[in-house]
Amino acid sequence: MNKQQFLTALEKELKKLPHEEREEIIQDFEEHFYIGMANGKSEEEISQSLGSPKQIAKEIAAVSRIEKIETSATAGNVLRAVWAVIGLGFFNFVTVFGPFLALLAVVFVGWFIGVAFIASPLILLVSAINHPGMFDLFSLFFSIMLCGSGWFIVRGMLYVTKGLTDLLVRYLRYNVSLVKGGLKHD
Amino acid sequence: MNTQFKKGVLELCVLALLNKQDRYGYEIVQKISEQMVISEGSVYPLLRRLKKEDYLTTYLQESNEGPPRKYYKLTEKGRNHLRNLHEEWMQFSDGVNQIIKDGGLHE
Repeated sequence: MNKQQFLTALEKELKKLPHEEREEIIQDFEEHFYIGMANGKSEEEISQSLGSPKQIAKEIAAVSRIEKIETSATAGNVLRAVWAVIGLGFFNFVTVFGPFLALLAVVFVGWFIGVAFIASPLILLVSAINHPGMFDLFSLFFSIMLCGSGWFIVRGMLYVTKGLTDLLVRYLRYNVSLVKGGLKHD
Repeated sequence: MNTQFKKGVLELCVLALLNKQDRYGYEIVQKISEQMVISEGSVYPLLRRLKKEDYLTTYLQESNEGPPRKYYKLTEKGRNHLRNLHEEWMQFSDGVNQIIKDGGLHE
């Protein structure tokens, strides 16, 4: 791969980044090629030592995606960041996907229970309309109690979701900093 | 040897290289690849991340040959981070060395 091929490939992989950021990255690599060639290396040698433009772009994109959650933690942004980190390699798939599913399950179940509890008087009402014979006061009081505790659960889940998102961001950061390589002198 | 090791180590290397002097990207990559086999291209994403986390700043400086070069400079925050990483690394490598010694291996 020569310099132009390398830079074109990198630029293509980075097309989702903001224009300015992409330009800056391309400039960094142009500088790298320029100095390398001034030191007598060929374009092919330099691009081979740099490694795959695809992998470099993935690392840059993953960092950029994680940054984005910190400014706005929408479900879409979180998913895109998780996806970007998983895409870095098999190792990241193993370490990220499982924990992410577990977190997702906790959040989902928490919200589901909270909302279901809050809705329980409504559910009771619907079933009382459909089967008037089944209605009793105990169920009514019980569902009102559930509704109250559901309200607490939902309030708690707001904090839990926020906390778990922060935790996830930290964990993704940590995972981005795992790299393949080895020591030279052995 | 082809193993997964932490870019945390790479992070320590980059910060340590900038401890005494500012350097440009190519120089940092060269210094590291004199010691280790890495995909040299991953140093640049790392430099971007360290800059985003305010451990580094950059400036352009004219060069005798060719266009100006982008230099990386350690911030005060970066210096503190370097101290922490260094400490962690020392503890880690002391631990490993002790275990190797106990295992009866010699250097």
